[in-house]
Amino acid sequence: MDKLNLTHHISQKFNEELEDVRNRVLAMGGLVEQQIVDALKALTEGDSTLGRAIEQHDYKVNQMEISIDEECSRILARRQPAASDLRLILAIIKTITDLERIGDEAEKIGRFAARLAEQERPTSNYREIEHLGNHVRTMLHDALDAFARLDVEAAFRVAKEDERVDGEYDALSRQSITFMMEDPRTIRRVLDVMWSARALERIGDHAKNICEYTIYLVRGKDVRHTGFEAMEREVQDRR
Amino acid sequence: MNPSWRQEASVALFLAVMALVAWLIVGHLFAWLFLATFVYLCWHLLNLYRLDSWLHRGRQLVTPASLGVWGELFNHFYRLRRRDRERKRRIAFLLREFRDSTSAMPDAVVLLDSLWEIMWFNVAAERLLGLRPQQDLRRRIGNLIRHPDFVGYLRHGVFDEPVDIPAPASPGVRISLRVVSYGSDQRLLIARDVTRLHRLEEMRRDFVANASHELRSPLTVIGGYLDAMRADQHLEHDWGVPLAEMEHQMQRMLAIIKDLLELSRLETEAREAPFAPVDVPALLQRIQRDALALGHGPRDVTVDVKDQAWILGSDSELFSAFSNLVFNAMRYTPDTGKVTLRWWVAEDGARLSVADTGVGIAPEHIPRLTERFYRVDRSRSRDSGGTGLGLAIVKHVLQRHDADLMVVSEPGKGSTFTCHFPMERVAREARTA
Repeated sequence: MDKLNLTHHISQKFNEELEDVRNRVLAMGGLVEQQIVDALKALTEGDSTLGRAIEQHDYKVNQMEISIDEECSRILARRQPAASDLRLILAIIKTITDLERIGDEAEKIGRFAARLAEQERPTSNYREIEHLGNHVRTMLHDALDAFARLDVEAAFRVAKEDERVDGEYDALSRQSITFMMEDPRTIRRVLDVMWSARALERIGDHAKNICEYTIYLVRGKDVRHTGFEAMEREVQDRR
Repeated sequence: MNPSWRQEASVALFLAVMALVAWLIVGHLFAWLFLATFVYLCWHLLNLYRLDSWLHRGRQLVTPASLGVWGELFNHFYRLRRRDRERKRRIAFLLREFRDSTSAMPDAVVLLDSLWEIMWFNVAAERLLGLRPQQDLRRRIGNLIRHPDFVGYLRHGVFDEPVDIPAPASPGVRISLRVVSYGSDQRLLIARDVTRLHRLEEMRRDFVANASHELRSPLTVIGGYLDAMRADQHLEHDWGVPLAEMEHQMQRMLAIIKDLLELSRLETEAREAPFAPVDVPALLQRIQRDALALGHGPRDVTVDVKDQAWILGSDSELFSAFSNLVFNAMRYTPDTGKVTLRWWVAEDGARLSVADTGVGIAPEHIPRLTERFYRVDRSRSRDSGGTGLGLAIVKHVLQRHDADLMVVSEPGKGSTFTCHFPMERVAREARTA
């Protein structure tokens, strides 16, 4: 079932180390997912305490990044992995960087949410940004699922979602520009919303990156910056 | 002797007799004896061959027929195989029944091995936990259910209480997960949908918080008028006593509302209290001063601090919990009694105890003490001015600090309430905290 023989090593200890570090990456992913959920909740419900709390939780994500990074370099130095094991370690090192950045973006949204909570709410009640946020959150969730299951097809599907997120972000920014032109007094607030939307769009990009690492991990081919057609070919090539 | 062996012996004997008869007629004793032995051997080999091919075919139930020991042996094999098949059928039936019943179960069930890898799960697990059949077998559960609370629950390894998280597949659904250990190193993960319960609980909390808020403002207005009326000299003669009583009751209602709001705040906030250093010895001094300023209860309130340890927690919550314990002790202890506050660090954590020499509590009441509005003696406690919520607040605050409450009491002699804080909540060196 696994194309990668993560569970077939002569050294049982090595197996456990690899599985452990993978487990920790996914735990970190879970933490980041929760950060996004909290940030969105703070934004849509106008909860400034929650918004500020996210900032305090960000250190946990950073700490996990550092400790996983250390573990990875330890494995590289001591075990000198090759082939799929090496790709796993490389993919993990890249994944945690993206996860940490997602955490930072969530923190940013939390900060904007805390500021927006103290201002008047628009009539739309942040419905559009909530929709965008849920879309991005599902994307990250599915990207991590694909990483956990080493499922390239799912990874490709998620990566493709990014186009739709970009489209949604475009629509949102266009709408914001209209608001600002209609009533210049709202510029400050709308800008904050725009920045939050921008952060969400970035999270979508990072989720897409994670999917690309998953494809690299399973297929052994780097599909970054190759466009969707090349990626699709790679995914469907050797089923 | 066994009849089959007798038969076998008679076959051998028959062959020997035949050889002897042939010798008497034709001569050549050894040639005939050799021939008889050869025939006998061939017969055995033939039977051996039949047994071997029967075993090889495997599926056939009916064994070949034969004479003597071989017949007996074939019978044995036949019986063995039949019994085996029946047992297999019964086990298969049981297994099918078990699988059918578990997949019909509304709760998700996942079997896990010692490394937290998924061995098997039922249909409800696919729906509630978003697991995929076949594909997700042999994967670690923590990789697929990644909520920080659940990951922490697994790492902690204490599975007395279930953990509530939003369902990984659909965020609107709330699930309660529980791990049960069984066998040598196996675990069972049970998840159930608690969305409705969760929503009801939320509604109840919101209701209590809103109702308390709404009640407070009319009470404040009434309080204002009562104050004005009590200041009026003309009313003093006729209405002095009723007004004082009204004021007293209003204070009580305000106290109840304050406690209700405090409780609902404790319930709605995150499950864990923050880890800010709290100077417990100083806190106890403050509570002692407040207790003596109450104007009732014993004058003998002592603070006995054995260790200068601090707690990592919330200052205001701990103050409210400890003062509730102390004020309770003051309330139920006669003026000649004694209230003692002790603070010390033991092997497995820090302890704070509040001991009194008051009326004590009968053992049947102790388990229910922390229920809201639970009263041991209805007539007395209301006069003494308690709100009935004090110990519920204590319980909640301690829960948020991972601490336990222990109550030891003897009616007529007094009670001791001990709070037990785990080591990770204790800052040993006051200077470093």
